[in-house]
Amino acid sequence: MKGRSADWILAVAGGALLAVMIHYNSVLAKHSSPVMASWMAHGIGTLGALVLVVAGARIFRPKGPNPMPAKAPGWAYLGGIPGAFTVWLAAVTVNSKLGLSGTLALMLVGQVIFGILSDRFGLFGVPKRRFVLKDLFVVLAVLSGSAILIFFRS
Amino acid sequence: MLGFVLLGVFNGAVIAASRAINGRLAIDLGAFKASFWNHIVGFVFLTVIMLAIASMKFDIPTNAPVLAYMGGIFGALFVTLNSYVLPRLGVTKTVLLVIGGQMITGVLLDVRNSKSVGAALAQFVGVGLILLGVYVARTSKAKE
Repeated sequence: MKGRSADWILAVAGGALLAVMIHYNSVLAKHSSPVMASWMAHGIGTLGALVLVVAGARIFRPKGPNPMPAKAPGWAYLGGIPGAFTVWLAAVTVNSKLGLSGTLALMLVGQVIFGILSDRFGLFGVPKRRFVLKDLFVVLAVLSGSAILIFFRS
Repeated sequence: MLGFVLLGVFNGAVIAASRAINGRLAIDLGAFKASFWNHIVGFVFLTVIMLAIASMKFDIPTNAPVLAYMGGIFGALFVTLNSYVLPRLGVTKTVLLVIGGQMITGVLLDVRNSKSVGAALAQFVGVGLILLGVYVARTSKAKE
């Protein structure tokens, strides 16, 4: 149970990191351009990730071989391409009237739509799942919450 | 304004796709290496785009605050954390918790620039509604 609550805290911290990342990348974009900000973020991020790979191998000693080895398909290496667009597009919208909260809220709407589509059509090997009435409530709550964030700004 | 709204929504789909793809890679290579591949592929891809578009120059900004250059470090940590937690908690719980942390932090960062108490209050109501929706999504999927 202890390890489990650590996972929860790590996931929330991940969300906080995502917001902070988008905030600072957009500050950089203000001093250059959205594409430049994404390029630099990925360049510096590559170095940061390299340090993590080396440090991670020392801190988290692998406990024997992977219990369920699953060779990743070729497309699994291409996550960086949509990732490149994330920083680029966010830099455009954060520095518009939408601000950081508005951008994050709309990204949430996009994530919900993508989630429904990937469940419906089984994208990226996710099991197929029907859209139920409860899902409609979820979409409405997320959409109206996002609308408040965007339109009731000072 | 509508254009920016559409861009924001499209970006959500893009980030969800990126997360799904990186999560798949992490099952094979582990979270740290998945983050490395994510960043280097994105870096090469953006380099190609900047070279292809003649008007884009490699003018590295030197006048930004130091923290502005740290976005990449936060990104490397985020992809690592996300890829580590996703197979352990499952997609739904990971998304719920990441969104919770993301929205609260976003509002906290934005509220610093808020001009009125009303606008700040509205932001908290908005976040509350989003979290309610995400919570219902969690209970809905937990029954399967």
